[in-house]
Amino acid sequence: MTEQTNSGSMQPPIVDVIDERLNRQSWFRRMLSRPDLGAFAGAVLVFVFFAFTAGGTGMFAADGVMNWLTVTAQLMIIGTGAALLMIGGEFDLSVGSMIGFAGMVIAIPTIYFHVPVGVSVILAFVMAMAIGALNGYIIVRTRLPSFIVTLASLYILRGLTIALSIVFTNRTIVSGLKQYSNESFVASLFAAKLFPGFFQWLADNGIINRLPNGAPAVSGLPMLLVWAVVIAVIAHVVLMKTRVGNWIFASGGDANAARNVGVPVSAIKISLFMVTAFCATVFAACQVFEFGSAASDRGLLKEFEAIIAAVIGGCLLTGGYGSVVGACLGALIFGVVQMGILFTGAPSDWFQVFLGAMLLIAVLFNSSIRRRVTGER
Amino acid sequence: MTTAMRTASPEDVTWPQGWGRPLIEVRELTKHFGPVVALSGVSMTVRAGEVHCLLGDNGAGKSTMIKTLSGVYRPTGGDFVVDGTPVTFSSPREALDAGIATVFQDLAMIPLLSITRNFFMGREPVRRFGPLSFMDMAFANRIAREEMRRIGIDVRDPEQAVGTLSGGERQCVAIARAVYFGAKVLILDEPTSALGVAQTSMVLKFIRQVRQKGLGVIFITHNVRHAYAVGDRFTILNRGRTLGTFAKAEIGLEELQTKMAGDKELQDLSEELGGTV
Amino acid sequence: MKSALLRGVLIAATVIAGVATTASSAFADNERFVFVSHAPDSDSWWNVIKNALKNAEHDEGVKVEYRNPPTGDIADMARIIQQATASNPNGIVTTIADFDVLQSAIQGAVAKGIPVITVNSGTAEQSKKLGALMHIGQPEYDAGKGAGERAKAAGVTHFLCVNHYITNAASVERCQGYADGLGVKLGDQMLDSGLDPTEVYNKVKAFLASHPDTNGILALGPNSADPTIKYLRDTGSASKFKSVISFDLDGDISKAIKDGIVSAAIDQQPYLQGYLPIVFLTQYVRYGVIPSNNVNTGPGFVTKDNIAMVEKLAGEYR
Repeated sequence: MTEQTNSGSMQPPIVDVIDERLNRQSWFRRMLSRPDLGAFAGAVLVFVFFAFTAGGTGMFAADGVMNWLTVTAQLMIIGTGAALLMIGGEFDLSVGSMIGFAGMVIAIPTIYFHVPVGVSVILAFVMAMAIGALNGYIIVRTRLPSFIVTLASLYILRGLTIALSIVFTNRTIVSGLKQYSNESFVASLFAAKLFPGFFQWLADNGIINRLPNGAPAVSGLPMLLVWAVVIAVIAHVVLMKTRVGNWIFASGGDANAARNVGVPVSAIKISLFMVTAFCATVFAACQVFEFGSAASDRGLLKEFEAIIAAVIGGCLLTGGYGSVVGACLGALIFGVVQMGILFTGAPSDWFQVFLGAMLLIAVLFNSSIRRRVTGER
Repeated sequence: MTTAMRTASPEDVTWPQGWGRPLIEVRELTKHFGPVVALSGVSMTVRAGEVHCLLGDNGAGKSTMIKTLSGVYRPTGGDFVVDGTPVTFSSPREALDAGIATVFQDLAMIPLLSITRNFFMGREPVRRFGPLSFMDMAFANRIAREEMRRIGIDVRDPEQAVGTLSGGERQCVAIARAVYFGAKVLILDEPTSALGVAQTSMVLKFIRQVRQKGLGVIFITHNVRHAYAVGDRFTILNRGRTLGTFAKAEIGLEELQTKMAGDKELQDLSEELGGTV
Repeated sequence: MKSALLRGVLIAATVIAGVATTASSAFADNERFVFVSHAPDSDSWWNVIKNALKNAEHDEGVKVEYRNPPTGDIADMARIIQQATASNPNGIVTTIADFDVLQSAIQGAVAKGIPVITVNSGTAEQSKKLGALMHIGQPEYDAGKGAGERAKAAGVTHFLCVNHYITNAASVERCQGYADGLGVKLGDQMLDSGLDPTEVYNKVKAFLASHPDTNGILALGPNSADPTIKYLRDTGSASKFKSVISFDLDGDISKAIKDGIVSAAIDQQPYLQGYLPIVFLTQYVRYGVIPSNNVNTGPGFVTKDNIAMVEKLAGEYR
């Protein structure tokens, strides 16, 4: 009964010629109304800017590229989580504190209680995601704004991280993880550098620069980048190609309307908070295993960087609109600007002013383009 | 209460063959919110293939009635029978599964989302690849475009945002969605209240088209003209009670207006103003 | 309206691009050094070092970029060192805020053939391990020993070391150095005072009551010095002590120096930690010469004699 194929008299005839013309038009429109178009334009603008101002400074040599790519990848990991959550209509301000917390949960049991490092990592993921779920549950149950609830967890988690690390270790920086994690599979899962042979080959053939001792300037592809790309691709596919993705859009667009047609809004929101916690833990794990130490002040203000990446990427602060691709481009813009300003040699006292101005320009550019193409007022 | 209670029997209406089966029967339905009595005894029967108008002024209990029928509220008392089976819905989803689809006044449409995503919201078509299941966007887009064209709305792109459609078009999308997903009873909450003349007629035309398919339509409005244009039977709600149900053949527009106004003075005022209320 | 916005954006971009290019091209011909600190933006102590860098920049005719992680996140600092390395400067000056975290970044700079000098936090051994040319800072043990030698000259025989941060290994070294400078055993003369001012006050009071022979005090910083000074003022017992020395300076301590309650404050002279590495790196890059030893910028001592000058320049060069 759903397909009423025999009531032809009431339908306009379907004419293929018209269809094709409409298709072509709609392809153009579709390209223009993508939420990430502005971010794409912004990214191009940023690269053009730095090509002129920092072209000869080593920013675009192999190690320079790896430097801003690393910062970008870090931000992509938490920016992707933030974007999904923002599209789902909520915020998570506890991401930064979660990074510090998860790092400590990995480091302390391993170093002080000689727990196998793999177990510590699993513990960190479980605890972080449980806290994420609790955040989500409180928000769904009380209907309080997530801004307030996660602001509270920002303080609670940071305080808990400091207090517990003092209780267990009497210090706030826990070093010496490398001797426990060296050679372990878990450590290489988060901090290995892939394809060293390939990079050596690139250096030998003069494609990337070499160090005086003959080693390539970039020794391999960090797992951090792999995690960032994998998380972004999965998030993108889930958001755009699955029913869960549709539910995320619906939950953020109008939670009541979504509930009325049977979308499990509460479950979606709670799991999105778990996703941001997961992303924060991946961030923490990569950092802890790269540097071999955890500190209770790690991740300070990263929650804002994650939100900035999502917003530059075209996510609406009110929810229901945005894309993962955009958030990744936002992370790229932020990472390139953050490091690029250092390459230009701009005076340090003015650093944050430049950073803020560049971001504002990127966002203005992005939103003016979006307004122009979607006809929003 | 000046009007005697009576209910038009199915024989008062000429039914097309096979139609007329009662889909929803409500008897002496009550709903209290603490000390506040919102419904104090509502009875009505909705049959297949009819547009059943629920008329009433503001505060008559229309909204409570709809929300009870659509599973948002649980009734405090009375009988609620769907297809011959007594039911108690605990969520809109359950009502939906029983074939009762509601298009709410504030629209169950999300302006920022594409037509396709709105159309299939909560009932996404999926395609499985081993353990993974993906939303079948090509199928969804095709269906959305076909259904829109069926209503006579030429969507250039089913992935364009619903926000780009007019109010009437949005109502039609919401109705088409309910029909497509096999609703037996369609509850329309003030679908024409915020629309201009052209768009109203578009929505009314579509309501009549839906009725032709044998669905039961409950059309809630306080605009008697709109009701009279498409309605087969009319139930009047006043102060949480039904004043009776009338077939179109036995009641005129004027009379309906009078009954709905329910009050002599308002009726006089209405005549003074030239019957435009 | 919209195009006005867009034009505004473009103009702003051009202006910023202009400023940035002038900034980078003004010193294009000179040596360029990057100084990386671990301090968050809010840490005013580093202003002295920034001024020192400006002076060195001017005196040597070089360009110095001061960099720091805005929030004080050491992991971000590692990225900044990597960035500095990628920009191929003539030299890098960095602190060793956390050896584990910064290890690979600093070694990366060294491997690229960039001369590195470490300053401030960290030890000479760590600096050597990283492959840096030298370390410029105040060794904790030596600073404590210097204070101990001063105290010995003043005739101290029994002392109290007020340690408000006992979990930090460096703090214990300060007390140990003091004891060695004095030529006595540390024994039970180090007090774990905690951070709370009332607690510090009462613990100092209890210690001095049970150790009446004590005639010298070392406080490891304002957190332990301020309540101790208050105790000495409250009881009027300052004259009983031949030497009261504190690490670092604050308002209470400098007033106590003027009043004769505190005999000296240990100053690590941060100005030198900014100025000297730039001077050394410049000479090294230009002529290949550099001192072969580490440089101890402290302990310098602030006493009644020079407190006036220190106060005048405080926050700027001292």
